[in-house]
Amino acid sequence: MMRIRLALICLGSSVAAIAADQATLDLGKKEEARSCLACHSLRIIHSQRLARAAWGRELDKMAGWGSQIKEREALLEYLVANYGNDKPMPVPEMSANGK
Amino acid sequence: MTPNRRQIFAAFLAAAARPMRSADDSVTIAGKRPMILHNDRPEDLETPLRYFDSWVTPIDVFFVRQHLPRPATIDPAAYRLNISGMVAKPGQLTLADLQKLPQQTVPATLECTGNGRGFYTPKVPGIQWGRGAVGNAEWSGPRLSDVLKVAGVDTKAAFLELDGADVGVAATPDFVRSMPMEKAMHPATLLALKMNGQSPDIHGFPARLIVPGWDGTSWVKWVTRLTPTAELNKGFFMNPGYRYPKYSLPPGSAPNPAELEIIEGMPVKSSLTSPEDQSKISLGPTTIRGFAWAGENAIERVEVSTDGGSRWQNAQLSAQKLPFAWRLFTINWTPAAPGYYTIMSRATDTAGRVQPIVPAWNPSGYLWNGIDRVGVIVEKA
Repeated sequence: MMRIRLALICLGSSVAAIAADQATLDLGKKEEARSCLACHSLRIIHSQRLARAAWGRELDKMAGWGSQIKEREALLEYLVANYGNDKPMPVPEMSANGK
Repeated sequence: MTPNRRQIFAAFLAAAARPMRSADDSVTIAGKRPMILHNDRPEDLETPLRYFDSWVTPIDVFFVRQHLPRPATIDPAAYRLNISGMVAKPGQLTLADLQKLPQQTVPATLECTGNGRGFYTPKVPGIQWGRGAVGNAEWSGPRLSDVLKVAGVDTKAAFLELDGADVGVAATPDFVRSMPMEKAMHPATLLALKMNGQSPDIHGFPARLIVPGWDGTSWVKWVTRLTPTAELNKGFFMNPGYRYPKYSLPPGSAPNPAELEIIEGMPVKSSLTSPEDQSKISLGPTTIRGFAWAGENAIERVEVSTDGGSRWQNAQLSAQKLPFAWRLFTINWTPAAPGYYTIMSRATDTAGRVQPIVPAWNPSGYLWNGIDRVGVIVEKA
């Protein structure tokens, strides 16, 4: 009984965490567009799969190069959740024929 | 080039103008056939393996690596090459001046320093190139040494600093490179005005530096300034950018910044282009293809294995055995039975260097040159 109750508590808290995270992830996605797109398109971000520390270093580098990142934590959470090194590599995208 | 406001604005406009997006969100790069699209603004394009079937890689499928937005198209009549620093006659040369100097042609393989980065474990930041950030072209133009002699280069200068017309966005550093004067004065080092006899276009029109045998980082595009100097440039793209650990590191560990060195030259390497990894072929005779190159050396031998590296056979090599340029290799193969086969290629150069099984992991994912390997499914005919 105790075990079931513990499991329910864990389930409840993780659902709450996911729900809380969704707002953060949405904010992070917006922040990505706001702070990155001025200089480059997003493909160069979305084609990579990096650990949290590595994404953090990338954000620091870009901030040093003039990116005005306001929601750093949300952006980092969004990058780790979608492009973390536990995610499979994406299928390469092709450009259309320009000839 | 130090960006002024007008140039930054022009770069923004150029970036916004291309590539064009169609309604289905696909990206078209003018002048290029379909390419592996790592990024569109700025353009980072990888050559699909199916195009690697000729010794000279056509411009319309040649890979593109841009650090910074492509500069606004340069008017050939308005183009000026500035020469400053340790020279007797500082000044400017026009495109016509460069065209009047003796023109040389050098076939050379250009490879992005990060080609193959996607094969490293653990993953490192940067474009996740596979096998196709490389190509072989015939580059034509005056020798860089002849250009420098026109300006009366001081023989005591230790380095040559170069800048191109591209400028950084926001506070992104300018792409400025420096190389030892000895390499700058090498007879094969050119200021190329032509690539495969055509305009270099996105590859650095009207003048692109050719540094045969060295990685692509040194091959500055849209060259606008040459400055012989006593000291090495200290900008981002010389330090910490494009450096490699002096002492090999445990994979995933951080380097000591004082123990990172400038990359000069290239290792020996081969890549399999056909059949492609995880492709299906039917039981019967097939041809295994690829290319191999070795920086400032020539390729001596390429061996191929079709059984995971147990037995190796020499492949046939294309005739031209040159420093700087790749050799194509082929070997005929008839699998004995259906099944899954691991095909591998291993190159040896004229200096005796051999591709390793495990290339040294490094934090920027440079210089991948592991023995190449693809898996192929052979099905009953």
